[in-house]
Amino acid sequence: MKKQLIIAALVLVVVGLVPLTSVSDYITGVLTMVCFYAVFAMSWDLLFGYAGEVNFGPSFLIGVGAYGAGLADADLGLPVAVCIAIGTLAAVLAGLLLAIPALRLRGPYFGLITLVAVLLLQDMIEIFADTTGGEIGLSVPDVLAVSAAVNFYYAFGLMVIAGAILLAVANSPFGLILQAAGQDPVEAQALGFNIVKFKVVAFAISAFFSGLAGAMLVFYLGTASVSAMVDVAVGIQVIIAAVLGGRRTIIGPVLGAAFLVGAGELLRPVGQMSGFIVAALALGVILLVPDGLLGALRGRLRA
Amino acid sequence: MLAVQILIDGFAISALYALGALGFTLIFGVSGVLNLAHGAILVTSAMVAWYVGTDSGGGAFTGAAAGVAAGVVTAFVTYGLVVRPIQRSKAIPGVERELFVLTGTLLWGVMIQILLADVFTTTPITVEQLVSGTIDIFGVRTAANEVFIAVVSWAVLGLLWLLVNRTPAGRRLLAASINPRALTLVGVELDHVHLLAWGIYGVIAGIAGVLLGSFLGTSSAYIPALTGTAFAIVVLGGLGSVSGTVIAAYVVGYLETLTAYLVSPSWRAVPALILLLAVLYFRPQGILGRR
Amino acid sequence: MRLFLLCSRAPPLPPLLRLPALTLHRSWSASPHRWRPFGAAIANGAKLAVADINAKGGVDGRPLQLVIEDDQASSASAVSSFQRMVKQDHVVAVVGNWISEVALALEPWATRLHEPYLITGAASNDISAYVHKDYAERKYTFHAYFPSAFLAAGVCAASHDVLSTELNMKTAVIISEDAAWTKPLDTSLNQCLPDSGLQVLKEIRFAPDTTDFTPIFQQAESLNPDVIISGWAHVGVQPTVQWANQKVPLALAGINAQAGSSAFWKATNGATEGVATLNVAAPDVATTPLTIPFTNEYIKAYGVTPAYSAYTTYDAIYVLAAAIERANSTAPDAVVSALEKTDYVGTQGRLQFLGPDSQFTHALRFGPGFVTGVVIQWQNGVQKCIWPLNLANAKPEFPGFVKLPKLASAN
Repeated sequence: MKKQLIIAALVLVVVGLVPLTSVSDYITGVLTMVCFYAVFAMSWDLLFGYAGEVNFGPSFLIGVGAYGAGLADADLGLPVAVCIAIGTLAAVLAGLLLAIPALRLRGPYFGLITLVAVLLLQDMIEIFADTTGGEIGLSVPDVLAVSAAVNFYYAFGLMVIAGAILLAVANSPFGLILQAAGQDPVEAQALGFNIVKFKVVAFAISAFFSGLAGAMLVFYLGTASVSAMVDVAVGIQVIIAAVLGGRRTIIGPVLGAAFLVGAGELLRPVGQMSGFIVAALALGVILLVPDGLLGALRGRLRA
Repeated sequence: MLAVQILIDGFAISALYALGALGFTLIFGVSGVLNLAHGAILVTSAMVAWYVGTDSGGGAFTGAAAGVAAGVVTAFVTYGLVVRPIQRSKAIPGVERELFVLTGTLLWGVMIQILLADVFTTTPITVEQLVSGTIDIFGVRTAANEVFIAVVSWAVLGLLWLLVNRTPAGRRLLAASINPRALTLVGVELDHVHLLAWGIYGVIAGIAGVLLGSFLGTSSAYIPALTGTAFAIVVLGGLGSVSGTVIAAYVVGYLETLTAYLVSPSWRAVPALILLLAVLYFRPQGILGRR
Repeated sequence: MRLFLLCSRAPPLPPLLRLPALTLHRSWSASPHRWRPFGAAIANGAKLAVADINAKGGVDGRPLQLVIEDDQASSASAVSSFQRMVKQDHVVAVVGNWISEVALALEPWATRLHEPYLITGAASNDISAYVHKDYAERKYTFHAYFPSAFLAAGVCAASHDVLSTELNMKTAVIISEDAAWTKPLDTSLNQCLPDSGLQVLKEIRFAPDTTDFTPIFQQAESLNPDVIISGWAHVGVQPTVQWANQKVPLALAGINAQAGSSAFWKATNGATEGVATLNVAAPDVATTPLTIPFTNEYIKAYGVTPAYSAYTTYDAIYVLAAAIERANSTAPDAVVSALEKTDYVGTQGRLQFLGPDSQFTHALRFGPGFVTGVVIQWQNGVQKCIWPLNLANAKPEFPGFVKLPKLASAN
């Protein structure tokens, strides 16, 4: 484990230094998106890999965070940091509102509720288009920075901090109990743990980082839009990233996000079939290497 | 007059929803699989029906037949390529198997969606009606195709009921949904039962896809919404209960129609979604659910 | 929408002019209201323009190079593409986009990066309003198509000449998809239709992902108007098919963007018979001497008639090439100044851009003698032109189930 952390730290340092070299702004931009998607995927992994709950609507949390921050800026003109805080808070509150009743349920019901939440959010945004901009999106007057490198460091910083916290949570006693709740809920309850409470806390943490990343994403792109933040397709990308990278590892999803965004850019000439290829790869991983890239790597290291 | 319009339009939509959700609940009841590629199978059937019937000039009936066949083929491929391997995979811990099937079918549905978009573009197309013209029902001018769809929907339901309750194969299906292990003890090849279930599923989904395509049009972009609606209706009615699904389909269909007529067409989908949330919170097993 | 990127890959050769065009393809997504052929049309139109210009020697003797990119109907993807094209590939200008959401997301980047950006689709009024608000900073964007207000003007002019004068229609119901481009469209229609002789009885707006249009048609029918004026771009097939299948006795005219494509007949199984829509061009109608040759060239190359965005993009590339030649430079400010002096007869008509004193700064000038669009109507499987009257090659004809008002004849 320690060896893996050292390797991870080294990789991070290298990546962190990339924008300072003469590499183009475009590459820096791609790395920035990797960081955002890494945070989305890591947050998702806490729920899926550890708590054993499939969240089909990570884009609900991302969207609430994004639009919360975007509306605060466009309508209220508050400073960027305050807007981001508002967006994050909104995501956590909305997430809890959704999760607390839903996590009491067994089976696929939780997943369904998350999916319905995304659809509802999308409908609401389009119905109240006068405020939210509808399908055209909401332009925000401020951006975090115009320089590609500065934007990258914001996202990179977020990713490192979020990753560290999520990793710490996952490996803490809390994380262990969470895993137990996910893998063997009957046993865990028999041992006296209130598994619902643990899952709710996990969901809140997931909502916090998803919402925060969503809010920051708005000030990176300059717009809040359904297609970039709320659409079911965004959620599917997050799921693909986490599954490809390796569930129940926290770090794996980072690899998955890098692969996802990188492959998307490299496969650009193929047009929309790039999505097909990525989805097919993810399906292949599920069928043949369910532990994902990192899981497979770790297996090989151990053997 | 308005009341009659709502009654008729709602009935047609509900019948279509029932047909669309039926296969989904069947496959869950028998195999325990929530097939998130459901919408993809519906749209594939519709696309093939259009391609054979209109684009290649085969005519409405040939097209419809081809569409249903495509539904069956796609269902079998879904089972053989995605569902069965995951169900049997030794690398996946038993507890997570269901989650992986969910995710696997989700990805498979995405693949089909992109493939269809690449081949047919996302332009919506309409499958040619099998029945054309209009009929006057209590003063409301109704497209004959809508009446046809309602008739077919109930015919399929009736046939399914007959199959499950009156034939040996059907009774095995029913038994498999209640207690698969007991069935193996009696010497029944579960594999054959599953194949039968997916085959029936393919036929129903194929018919639903073709009819949906003739009334509401179809496009690869509709796939997520179609899966979502089927999923919602099935959960509302009670996972695994066919009668529950039918009742829920009519509830959702009429709720949407009433909203479109009396509130605003923009708000059409909202009340049903809210109802679903409410049911999930207060009565998660749905209207007639068993589990 | 397509993103065209022109990028040079051969350093030893003299520098090529790069013109990126942003193309928006439809990628898989949960929202059904986008249509890939408009994007493909942008790419194809640009390809033809570049081929034609290079065949005649290029711009100042230098060939144009075109790179096509698909931004997958996503603002995020488009912004990423845009940045790469400007910063890495050093393109001279960006052309494309037919979705307002994406175009609006890119305008601030065109401003920040000082990159000439010609939008050849999308109808939101906000596109040119954005430029008008801070002209000095934002002058790099040109809306090489019409804002909704001008589309409405076209519909009203046609309604006056054909629906009101020729067919004696007096009342209309507006049915529009609830999208950003139709809000200003409906506002403008509400103002100009009465002046054209059509009283607006009601305005109905529906969610763009509506699939059952029965309640909408029944609501319209209950008011007994002579015609439905449509504002449809994201939808087209369903409402048209259901209008025909349910035999709604109201004429269907206005804007039905998808009906402008030759593939629409098959997509609707012929239900589009009698449907009229404002379009950029009509088959076999010489809006200008360039229209028909371009249409034929396009059909020969791609097997389908060009969608509206093909015409606009083809013209936009020519306009850009002319501007570069006029400016004798590819520096952004020089190109922008030259673009503002555009006075070019393209395939759509005579193109000029409006100036900073108009609220639609840098949009195309609308009006007779400039660009107005044409109205096509599907008759027996073929698109016929029924307006402007001096270009029309057919009289309006409607299916039997449509009830037309009695004509005010002298006998």
